[in-house]
Amino acid sequence: MQTLSRGRKLALVATAVASLVATAACSGGGGSSSSSKTVTIWSSTDPLVFAGLKKEIVAKAKAEGITVNMQKVDNINQLIMTKIQANDTPDIAMIPQPGVVGDIVKRGKAQDLSSVLDMNALKSSMTPGTLETGTFNGKLYGLLVSMNVKSLVFYPKKAWDKAGYTAPTDFASLEALTDKIKASGTPPWCFAIGSDAATGWPATDWMEDLVMRYGGVQGYNDWVTHKTKFDSSLVKQAAAEMEKLLLTPGNVAGGRSSIASTAFGDADNPMWDAKPGCMMLKQGNFIVSKDFMPSKVVSDVDANIGVFGFPPATAGGDNPTLGGGDLATLLSTSDSAKKVMKILADPTLGKDTAGSSSFISPHKTFDMSLYPNDLTRTIASTAYKSTAFLFDGSDAMPGAVGAGTFWKDMTAWISGQENLDTALKNIDQSWPTS
Amino acid sequence: MGTKIVTTIITVLAGVGAALVLYWVLNRLAELLPGHWEDRIKPYLYILPAYLAITFYLIYPAVETVIDSLKDSSSTAWVGLDNYTHLLKTHDFQQTLFNTLLWMLIVPAVTVALGLGVAVLADRLKPKAESTAKTIVFLPMAISMVGAGTVWKFLYTYRPEGRSQIGLQNAIVTGLGGSPVPWLEQNEFHLNSLLLMVMLLWAQVGFSMVLLSAAIKGVPGDTIEAARIDGANERQIFASVVVPQIWGTVITVFITTLISVMKIFDIVYVMTNGNFNTNVLGNEFFNQLFTNFNNGAAASIVVMLMVATIPIMIYQVRHFRAEEAAA
Amino acid sequence: MTDVTAGVARTKTRTRRQKENFEGSPSKAGWFTKGALIFVCFLWIVPTLGLFLTSFRPLDDANNTGWWTLFTHPSTIGHLTTSNYTKAIDQAHLGLAFVNSVAIALPATFIPILVASFAAYAFTFMDFKGRDFLFLLVVSLLVIPNYVAFVPILKAYGSIGLKGFPTVWLAHIGFGMSLAIYILRNYMATLPKTVIESAKIDGASHFQTFYRLILPMSVPALASFAIFQFLWVWNDLLVALVFIGPGDNAPITVAVKNNLLGQQGSGWNLVTAGGFFSMIVPIIVFLALQRFFVRGLTAGAVKG
Repeated sequence: MQTLSRGRKLALVATAVASLVATAACSGGGGSSSSSKTVTIWSSTDPLVFAGLKKEIVAKAKAEGITVNMQKVDNINQLIMTKIQANDTPDIAMIPQPGVVGDIVKRGKAQDLSSVLDMNALKSSMTPGTLETGTFNGKLYGLLVSMNVKSLVFYPKKAWDKAGYTAPTDFASLEALTDKIKASGTPPWCFAIGSDAATGWPATDWMEDLVMRYGGVQGYNDWVTHKTKFDSSLVKQAAAEMEKLLLTPGNVAGGRSSIASTAFGDADNPMWDAKPGCMMLKQGNFIVSKDFMPSKVVSDVDANIGVFGFPPATAGGDNPTLGGGDLATLLSTSDSAKKVMKILADPTLGKDTAGSSSFISPHKTFDMSLYPNDLTRTIASTAYKSTAFLFDGSDAMPGAVGAGTFWKDMTAWISGQENLDTALKNIDQSWPTS
Repeated sequence: MGTKIVTTIITVLAGVGAALVLYWVLNRLAELLPGHWEDRIKPYLYILPAYLAITFYLIYPAVETVIDSLKDSSSTAWVGLDNYTHLLKTHDFQQTLFNTLLWMLIVPAVTVALGLGVAVLADRLKPKAESTAKTIVFLPMAISMVGAGTVWKFLYTYRPEGRSQIGLQNAIVTGLGGSPVPWLEQNEFHLNSLLLMVMLLWAQVGFSMVLLSAAIKGVPGDTIEAARIDGANERQIFASVVVPQIWGTVITVFITTLISVMKIFDIVYVMTNGNFNTNVLGNEFFNQLFTNFNNGAAASIVVMLMVATIPIMIYQVRHFRAEEAAA
Repeated sequence: MTDVTAGVARTKTRTRRQKENFEGSPSKAGWFTKGALIFVCFLWIVPTLGLFLTSFRPLDDANNTGWWTLFTHPSTIGHLTTSNYTKAIDQAHLGLAFVNSVAIALPATFIPILVASFAAYAFTFMDFKGRDFLFLLVVSLLVIPNYVAFVPILKAYGSIGLKGFPTVWLAHIGFGMSLAIYILRNYMATLPKTVIESAKIDGASHFQTFYRLILPMSVPALASFAIFQFLWVWNDLLVALVFIGPGDNAPITVAVKNNLLGQQGSGWNLVTAGGFFSMIVPIIVFLALQRFFVRGLTAGAVKG
């Protein structure tokens, strides 16, 4: 019967089809094989830094017979928690937020590095404070591999030198300088906090730099761990200074109303006009790049851009450095992964990368001549010589605060929608209880 | 790369072929049963593969979600209705609920109206012109949300007074002598939410236009002819002949848009992340889950959304009964 | 009355073409129609045009002046460059990502359509216990954001060791099923029941009715849904990111997001180029499927 022979044909087709699908499933999978000699690393560093580090790491691992599969992932924080809950993670994840590392430790999925790495060597080569950022419950879980520095104030070198300004040494002289520039007819500060979903974060950086100088390392850490609330005299003191420097009418280019709506990357634009529209920009070192500054400025960094470290509150007082970076976290127990971790802990890591990217090593023993220009050397030594390196607070606080209310309420305060007290109380209220 | 292409082609053919074969086999199995049973089993067999997929990918997670909404942030301890009460008490969340409601009231209606308008008007053009017009309106749907965010950045961007504007809207405003406005911060009368809705309309009207256009084309020519012979003018034809016959599609478009607006998140996330009183439930859900890592709160928002669809379900049921009666 | 004479004239012209179709009559496209549509098209295309032009501008220009200055200051046209594209394609390996996107989108488009149309047929034309309830369940599931399914599904995949493309194929099939069934079923409900009845009288089984009658008549709806599903999968970011992750199997959306953006959002000029590169295929797909949106295929069947 016609249907029967059709039936048989179809049955054959079905079997063939099933086997093809099975092959597709296997070959379509490709990629991550489960051989123990392959180590997967996920990182969210900038493209140039990523490219450089990948080259170095892959080469070094190959020498030990290990294949490294290193992938760049944008916004790794969101993805990694999902993967962790599903037990499907890369071997090593380089995470730019200690708070997230802490979450991973809480769920028991991070490996203790103190048994894998040479802790004594690290303690002597790494900038003070950098090891602490990845330490939880007394053990090291996140190793800082690349560093960025935030306690910096940039200025247009030519116009600055012409006017004869000098870097301030404490808050009093910073305030005096601010007034001096204002008196000369130029708004002293470039300040903008717009950043789409992350609007507000530059304001949190200001607060953090101020809190750590008024309260020292201990005061800062207590605040970041919520032992000191936002609604406290320390934080209010910092906010008052910020208000004095930035929110006084005439102190910021574009006025207070433009701060929250101007993109942070555009804040520097007025600096490069023939008659600068503002003189000082406090920002992290990543801002020195053609993505944010005109190419004519970036083409000769040392001639065009000057920088000084954000001063201490009183001359000679506490002068920690605010910064960020990527913390390498070990998520697997394989021997190969541990070996790769050791490669990441090597103090010379980045020797091929530094010259062509914004990479700064957290090891104070790093060969400074490898940095591409004097500007970077000044920036790096600001960190190496400081009393302590402190990780960006909003990255260390729980996500609900650090990437949530801290940004939002600061934005609301600056744009005049909330008064300071309400903002601080809101942030305190949002701190997760569990 | 070559193997990938080959594998894809094989999979497409294999997948579709396998599905067809599967149904054919199920059909044959059903036919083997005595007639009475065959008629009773067959419908279930037809919906079986679809329902398997739905059960695994939608129902099972939905059930897990309802359970999670009664647990804490890492889904380890029971907290009862705490997630709900905690959220509903906060002023911010109440604002979020109101904003979402605003989106629900405005967007679906306008989407249907605009889609219908374009479909009807374009229908009167020559085929080439019609195709061009529809493609232009449809084009934004081809852009991913990240792309759309970048596109509208060049419309809404604000630069301080005195600097050159790179956003078109502010360029027009300053060109006419005004001061630039940070559009996405203006929450008087929810202006910024309305501007975000414009973005969604821009992207989604293509969807309603396509479906409604297909429906309009599906209206049998004889019914139109008959009305025309009876002397009705275009407007009357449209209202009394075309509309009733496409009404089912209108409802479909309205309901699908309504439901997708309820969980809208990309646009708000990419442009403002809910700042300046633009927050909506979908965005709040995303932040709770991926920023705060709070499974319990995120889950409770989903449950609230599910509850909110009940009135829609009720309407759909009544629509069914009406359909059945008319058939 | 002009209406009657016009009507007669129209009927005459229409008898020359296929009478069954409600095709547009160009003579009816008056100034209002044309004007309104031109206005709408202008509004719709301006944002995209802005992005398109920006993707060819060097970063300095794009950061400092609006894209319309290309028209007001034609000298800047000399700065236009394709370097954003070449850099994006190179840095994000967009050639490979392109193939991946196709590989993911095709099965994820075709298979759900077939499976859903069977189910839609059953919901429309078959009578069975629990039909209404099961259908309403399908509709109510539309509101569930896909993300809640990620962790449970990932765990399930992990326990059976499923990796690579099949993970996303199945996921997209599952996630798209609700909408597919809803749209297809509602469309099938508008088909004339008389057709089915006459087929039944002729002794056709359900399978034959489905295959020979309903499926062809539903082509506009199938084509519509095919476009939407294809677009949804092609532009999808999160599902691919979570199930496939970064690497050699990443589609365009994942590759663009991961490889072109710096930690502080720099590199957006490359993203504009990447975004446009990604748009080419969906536009081609839409244009190709346009021909399914003409003609009412139901008319004639009633007479026949």
